[in-house]
Amino acid sequence: MSASPRRILAGVLTLTTALAVSACAGGGGTEADGNTLTMMVPLFGTAPDPKGEMHQAVEKLAGKKLAITWTPNAEYNEKTNVVLASDSIPDVMVIQDNKSPSFVQAAKAGAFWDLTDKLDKYPNLKPKSEQAWINSKTDGRNYGIYRVRALLRSAIVLRKDWLDKLDLEPPQTTDDLYEIAKAFTERDPDGNGKKDTYGLILPKWPSTNFSASNPYNVIDVWFGTPNNYGMRDGKLVPEFDVPEFWEAQKYIKRFIDEGLVNPDWATLDTGKWNDPFVQGKGGIIIDVNVRAGELFDDFKELDPETYDEKVAMAGNLSRPDGKKFSYPFTGYNGIVAVSKQRVRTEQQLDDVLKTLDKLASKEGSILLNNGIEGRNFKVEDGYAVKVNDQDPAMKVINNDVEFAFIQLGMTSSVGVAGEAYEWMRPSQAEKDWLKQRDELMNLDLQTAVHDPSLPVISETAVQRGATLNPIPTDARIKYLAGDLTEEQFRAEVKRWYDSGGTQTLAELQAGMVKTGG
Amino acid sequence: MATDLAPPATKAASKDKRPDRLPVRTALLRYRWLYLMLIPGLVYFALFKYLPMYGLTIAFQDFVPFLGYSGSPWVGFKHFENLFTGPDFGRLLFNTLFLALLTAVFVFPAPIIVALLLNELRIGVYKRFVQSLIYIPHFLSWTIVFSLTYLLFSVDFGLVAGWIHSLTGGGAKVDYLAQPEWFRPLVILQLLWKTSGWGTIIYLAALAGVDPNLYEAARMDGAGRRRQFWHVTLPAIRPTIVVMAILTSGNLLDQSFEQIWLLTNSLNRSVADVFDTFVYYVGVQQGGYSYATAVGLFKGVAGVILIFGCNWLAKRLGQRGLF
Repeated sequence: MSASPRRILAGVLTLTTALAVSACAGGGGTEADGNTLTMMVPLFGTAPDPKGEMHQAVEKLAGKKLAITWTPNAEYNEKTNVVLASDSIPDVMVIQDNKSPSFVQAAKAGAFWDLTDKLDKYPNLKPKSEQAWINSKTDGRNYGIYRVRALLRSAIVLRKDWLDKLDLEPPQTTDDLYEIAKAFTERDPDGNGKKDTYGLILPKWPSTNFSASNPYNVIDVWFGTPNNYGMRDGKLVPEFDVPEFWEAQKYIKRFIDEGLVNPDWATLDTGKWNDPFVQGKGGIIIDVNVRAGELFDDFKELDPETYDEKVAMAGNLSRPDGKKFSYPFTGYNGIVAVSKQRVRTEQQLDDVLKTLDKLASKEGSILLNNGIEGRNFKVEDGYAVKVNDQDPAMKVINNDVEFAFIQLGMTSSVGVAGEAYEWMRPSQAEKDWLKQRDELMNLDLQTAVHDPSLPVISETAVQRGATLNPIPTDARIKYLAGDLTEEQFRAEVKRWYDSGGTQTLAELQAGMVKTGG
Repeated sequence: MATDLAPPATKAASKDKRPDRLPVRTALLRYRWLYLMLIPGLVYFALFKYLPMYGLTIAFQDFVPFLGYSGSPWVGFKHFENLFTGPDFGRLLFNTLFLALLTAVFVFPAPIIVALLLNELRIGVYKRFVQSLIYIPHFLSWTIVFSLTYLLFSVDFGLVAGWIHSLTGGGAKVDYLAQPEWFRPLVILQLLWKTSGWGTIIYLAALAGVDPNLYEAARMDGAGRRRQFWHVTLPAIRPTIVVMAILTSGNLLDQSFEQIWLLTNSLNRSVADVFDTFVYYVGVQQGGYSYATAVGLFKGVAGVILIFGCNWLAKRLGQRGLF
């Protein structure tokens, strides 16, 4: 009852702001109430019940009531725009694409708190990875706390049984990979007497952006190109305009010309990428390391007896002269931003950040990633093991964790256990794989080539992206397919420069100088 | 007659003069229940069709969601200028128009032909069976249609691609899904497969409405099947064809976004890019809402012009127009 004068004040405020809002849309919104935190978070399944065990446990830990608007992931970015345009921005909001024009514009117009210099006081929110902190900047500023992901996830997944049959070792160099692909194609690795296999499986990449974490980008970087953009002799250059790039293209083209890749490499849907691997048509995938886990699961469905003999993994490769460059990822997936409309004073911000700090603590990480210890899981050898997972109540908790609350994780999340527990994998092969995954990650991080342009945004790239992006992307595929000669490819690169590429580079470089990148 | 879209009242009256108009108030009072029933429809159109058009104003702004409709700066025709002078416009227009032309020539007549063929079937059970069968593709999503296309035409394991390859005596395999020259034929094939069955419904309804006496009279005059077809069946469904043609013309520039988007890849993008996919790239992927809206608005205006043009043309050719 002691809160009633505040309530009245809040009510009056609501009314007056509502009037102000109707007079001038986009200007107001109501102020946050100290006891409840409103949030918007992506959802991958069904929304957790606010009275459910998980929600209650998270509220208890946070010490606040949480009003969470769970929004299906498929429409999350769309909904984000709608929310940004409305007067009902929640206190705390997960922003999945913090480089999207609508978020950039909103942040610059003062919709969210600039947290660049504000996190030092909070032990769990203080950025642990300098690189992810830089990568998650929006035009030089951090408008939120990044949600951690592995900083290096690139890897090569191979058919282990094929390697064993042909007496081959996982690759260390680009030449090794070529030899393996050739052997997979020509030396009948499945032993059926027919030449019906190929080495590398390449899919059609859905994005028209040139730098899109696809296998081609990974191979480019192995050969020493910049990752998206890089400084050469004091000038910013794109990945596709350095001598190493042409080395990489000749390397990839050899695979295609000699039939060491799937014939439908230009059209295969990324959703069907695993199929040829599991069906025994192709034997190599260059992608993220978690794909090995997916493939373990696929093979397990097919044959639970032998599935652990089918998947091998290798890290990034060194190029012919022995130098090694590794392809990193951004180290984060979206940010958690705090609304300036709802959370108005420094004091209120401090209150919200303290709550988020609790969610990011060790205790919070375990809760958001694994669930309620001793209820839906227990700990064995440092791994989390599900308890009674057929019990309906446990199923609810597990679903709430896996498809909803894990999305609130800032210091631990999908693929990065952080201070939470890794889930137990049953077979020794999978345990070995998890260990190898972490080892490779740390090893390859030492040679990682980061994209220095990530914290900066180029106005031209945004405005002319629909025209600019496909130029080099399509030219590469056309060159590899033999539709373009190298000269014609270089002419396309020139067209990219002339259509706005030069301007993009200038803007990015100026931005990088400004932010000290 | 089912072919006649005009309400019976005017039809009866059209034999002589139109009846004198009633004063508005008397009309309102006399037909009050009819007018009352009209209200939900009007509200629907106002709310869901006309009100959202307010959003078109962002084509003339540099729209920022956070600033909203009233806060975003006005920029006049900037986005239209960018569109018309941009490097993509010519290609987009050509691809869109070319596909529209192919659709008009190949896809529009398909249901008419199928309906006429079905009409000639005399075994009722078989006719209904075939009818139901050819409706099925209409209910499949474009994603499934694309998957089927992939299974049939993939260079790796495509069934049809394999047949053609062995029939033409080997040689280099053709990647139908990736080569620009095969893009348009595939789009038309998919459209034919998916839409021609469903499209027969309206023509079959028209055909069912043909007065049997006309056929009888024609037979009495010694007309064979072919003559009956030319002089009874075809004239009977002509008004329906004209109305459908006018209605379709408004949508000619709308390619099915999903269909095109799924078939597009780096190798065939030069022929695949149409206004609909461009709007998606610009608006949804790049966040250029204003620019995308300008493109969409341009397309909408072109559609309206087409529909009025076709209506005018139909009237000039002595047919009854749509309005």
